[in-house]
Amino acid sequence: MLPLIIIGAWEYFAVRADNPALLPRVEAVINRLVHPFADLLDTGSYVRHVIVSASRVVLGFILAALIGIPLGLLVGRYLLFHRLFSPIIEILRPLCPIAWIPFAMAIFKTYTIAEVFGVRYTTTIFGHIQLGMLFVIFYGGFFPIFLNTIHGVKSVKNIFIESALLLGAEQHKLFRKVIFPASLPAILTGLRVGLGISWMVIIAAEMLPGSDAGIGYLIMFSYQLAEMDILIASMILIGAVGALLSYGVKFMSDRTSVWQAKER
Amino acid sequence: MSFLAVNRVKKVYWGERKEEVIALADLSFACEQGEFLCIVGPTGCGKTTLLRLIAGLERPTSGEIHIQDKIVDGLNLDTTLVFQQYSLLPWRNVIDNVAFSMEMKNINKKERYAEASQFISLVGLRGFEQAFPYELSGGMQQRVAIARALAHNPKLLLLDEPFGALDERTRHRLQEELLTIWQQQTKTIVFVTHTIDEAVFLASRILVMRDRPGRIETEYKISLPRPRKRRSKEFLDVHIKIREDLEKILTTDDKGGDAL
Repeated sequence: MLPLIIIGAWEYFAVRADNPALLPRVEAVINRLVHPFADLLDTGSYVRHVIVSASRVVLGFILAALIGIPLGLLVGRYLLFHRLFSPIIEILRPLCPIAWIPFAMAIFKTYTIAEVFGVRYTTTIFGHIQLGMLFVIFYGGFFPIFLNTIHGVKSVKNIFIESALLLGAEQHKLFRKVIFPASLPAILTGLRVGLGISWMVIIAAEMLPGSDAGIGYLIMFSYQLAEMDILIASMILIGAVGALLSYGVKFMSDRTSVWQAKER
Repeated sequence: MSFLAVNRVKKVYWGERKEEVIALADLSFACEQGEFLCIVGPTGCGKTTLLRLIAGLERPTSGEIHIQDKIVDGLNLDTTLVFQQYSLLPWRNVIDNVAFSMEMKNINKKERYAEASQFISLVGLRGFEQAFPYELSGGMQQRVAIARALAHNPKLLLLDEPFGALDERTRHRLQEELLTIWQQQTKTIVFVTHTIDEAVFLASRILVMRDRPGRIETEYKISLPRPRKRRSKEFLDVHIKIREDLEKILTTDDKGGDAL
């Protein structure tokens, strides 16, 4: 019901404004969305921009998970690691990932993954994955994953750990067979939140100078050319892809942690 | 020396206001191989603490515990403990829970499943191998917990009010099953309970504990023939005798006439 009201109001104001550079008609935006492979303003299609953005996010996110999960397991389990990391965490946590974007641009310039590996000119996707963007996505994804993992480890019921120890579990097996599976639901929550934040951060990062492709870049570019139908269609796509990513992780976590939902 | 020897064990905790709480004071007893020893006593008398010390989950403040002449110094593979609370790993099905200890010993899957199935049958749960803990009733979960402990093949099996949360009928049935297992497997069992009826039904010997601080008050040898009949005169006589003693302990406490 609510979406219909919003669309109705949008159409009403669009007709009244009668200015596509301010607010385009609903039809114009839909027309953009049903042609996802059509070139836009000589920058490539929606599909291409989404793939570029998603590749950046997925790569940065995988890095965040690869470092956030093991580190979270250690910090959650061992007091030594907790003492080592908690002051840094408390300072860094309130620092929004977007605040890091200018810093990352200054440090990493516009170096891409391809350039790091010595490939100067390339048409592959790696030519579009800038280190600075990777860094802010990593940063944005890292904290939710890391903090949720710590929380997961800390809330593993002591009785599970003691039972396993009584049945002859050694430390590394205790980690693999008890602590990790018991914290998995919390870890997956962290992944879901982290992926959402990464997706938000990449859009912001792509809007800044030095960006050459991606859905955030497309938004900024279409704004400058006052192509509002492209802009609004991009926004709808961002929402849709974000929701899809979130459902993907949720689908995974529902399947792996049925027991948690069923346990009272 | 006895199979299990507890020598002048004392356990002190630090309370919330940094005061000393003596959970166990100079507690000593012995248990022979193959015995079914029950420990009864009022809530908070340190029964659970005692079991945790024997299991090696905690260490005594002073005194020593020996199992087969070896001093208990942390967890050891010859002892395991079944908790009162449900302790199955909820993401594992029944057979993977029962096979857990074998998995820890790196026994291959085929072998450990074959072995685990036998223990599952032993506790009367054949057909539930693939079920998850949340699909089982409390009684069934405790059966799995017992099967899991038995699959570990401990010489000494400690049980901490394992049937405490179950209804009476289930409790009685599991008591009978546990006795059968004890007779077949010739285990040494130390079983903590706060119901006298349960102790008299199961035990070959009963230790009665009292609280503040926790220590052993008296002991009874139960030589009633098995299977024991709960409504027989002999059973009731023993039951009443222990009940009277326990009441005496509780009333001296109420008057504040604590001996220490």
